[in-house]
Amino acid sequence: MREKKIEQYDVVIIGGGAAGLTAGIYCGRAQLKTLLIEKSLVGGLATYTNEIVNFPGFPEGTTGLGLMELFHKQAKNFDVKFKLTDVKKVDFDGEVKKVETFRNIFEAKTVIVAAGGRPRTTGAQDEEKYLFDKGISFCATCDAAANTGKTVMVIGSGDAAIEEGTFLSKFAEKVIVSVIHDTGKMDCNEIARDAALANPKMEFKWNTMVDSFEGEERMERVVLKNLKTGALDPVEVDTCFEFIGYEPNTEIFKDVLNLSKRGYVVTNELMHTGIPGVFACGDVREKELKQVATAVGDGAIAGVEAEKYIAETEMFENQIMQKEKIGLIYVYSAIDAPSRELLPTMQEIEEKFNGQVKLNVIDLYKGKSLCDRLSCDVDPMTIFYTKDGEVVEISDKCDMPSVTESLNKFVETAVR
Amino acid sequence: MKEEMLDCLGEACPVPLVKAQKALEKLDAGDILIVQIDHSCAMKNVPEWAREAGHNVEIEEVDDGEWEVVIEKVK
Repeated sequence: MREKKIEQYDVVIIGGGAAGLTAGIYCGRAQLKTLLIEKSLVGGLATYTNEIVNFPGFPEGTTGLGLMELFHKQAKNFDVKFKLTDVKKVDFDGEVKKVETFRNIFEAKTVIVAAGGRPRTTGAQDEEKYLFDKGISFCATCDAAANTGKTVMVIGSGDAAIEEGTFLSKFAEKVIVSVIHDTGKMDCNEIARDAALANPKMEFKWNTMVDSFEGEERMERVVLKNLKTGALDPVEVDTCFEFIGYEPNTEIFKDVLNLSKRGYVVTNELMHTGIPGVFACGDVREKELKQVATAVGDGAIAGVEAEKYIAETEMFENQIMQKEKIGLIYVYSAIDAPSRELLPTMQEIEEKFNGQVKLNVIDLYKGKSLCDRLSCDVDPMTIFYTKDGEVVEISDKCDMPSVTESLNKFVETAVR
Repeated sequence: MKEEMLDCLGEACPVPLVKAQKALEKLDAGDILIVQIDHSCAMKNVPEWAREAGHNVEIEEVDDGEWEVVIEKVK
């Protein structure tokens, strides 16, 4: 094996789509040393969409590629470094996170997972020739208007397929739906099904699946196969929309991150994955609406959270867990009066010990995560005593005589 | 475990791809071929071909509009 080169970063972002690039812009602007790793081309799934007209700020519309080039440029302006290669392995155990490509091991204080997803395809013959902008689409919101007055096909009968199909019927002249099940049976909810069956613009091809796609430069017809009779049915359409699911790019995170049943990364609204210092944003997250606009919001939050995490780690290690003096860490809460009122007492104690003791206070109300780092779920009015940067005693006795007594056990010159 | 440089600067598609394919043939598994390119179309078809053939690929932007495609021959 060739030796892998090790490099250190503050932040490593996995995935260069809208979410990853936005996270990069925020991290770069916060002057963090940031690396973004993308497996193919920067821009992600958005680059497959020809027309983006619902991303705010572009009243005339823009192309997916054009928009993502602007994101890319902006991230570069903030000094984000880019690596175009596959991530092979990640290791999120321990404080230093490791992200491995075939030539490097990147060590980072934080990792932002923005690996995105990909639409599931039918696997029918010649499908790959027409994907994305050549007649096979995965986004009704994106391509409905371009099909005004035309004939389109929808593959699938789940909620997404039927709801998007209904939406398409507002634009297209005719929406032909290929359903794998028997007549009248669909995978979607009943309200959507009844509405679709009553829709005069929607026509259903029951017991069918795609056999192949045909056309010259662009896809021109979908050849359906009847599962009962085996008969082939070529149908002329302008665009074929596939809604047979979506697959997250989470293979390498399987035993590392908490994934939902469908394989998406589970996070809270601050993009925390549950592993300190590891965040996830964009389409790879378990969430409802997957758009460039929502990916941007996710990315901004992840970027800011990564920055906060790094700042807090530094503060925790250098200040709270200082090694020079005996540490007196007082945990209080800004919304809890009794604990707040003891703050002057703690200062008095620090002064009394003549430079032998260092007082740090943690406000539980504002800085719960700091308290979590002491790996202890505590109430306000708790004191941690430290020596050489290690916790040596935890106590809830916060009166002057008790605290003095405890400190006298650790300091060189006892004080009365 | 050789590392070989292939200069394709100033060459348009499909020359870099053809050159890269020929150069990789002569290498052994584990060797690395670095293809230097400055045509953006080669940035697409060279890595695409190499990935599809199952090799490890990394693209590095060395300068504005100049890239190195690093290919590790896997088999």
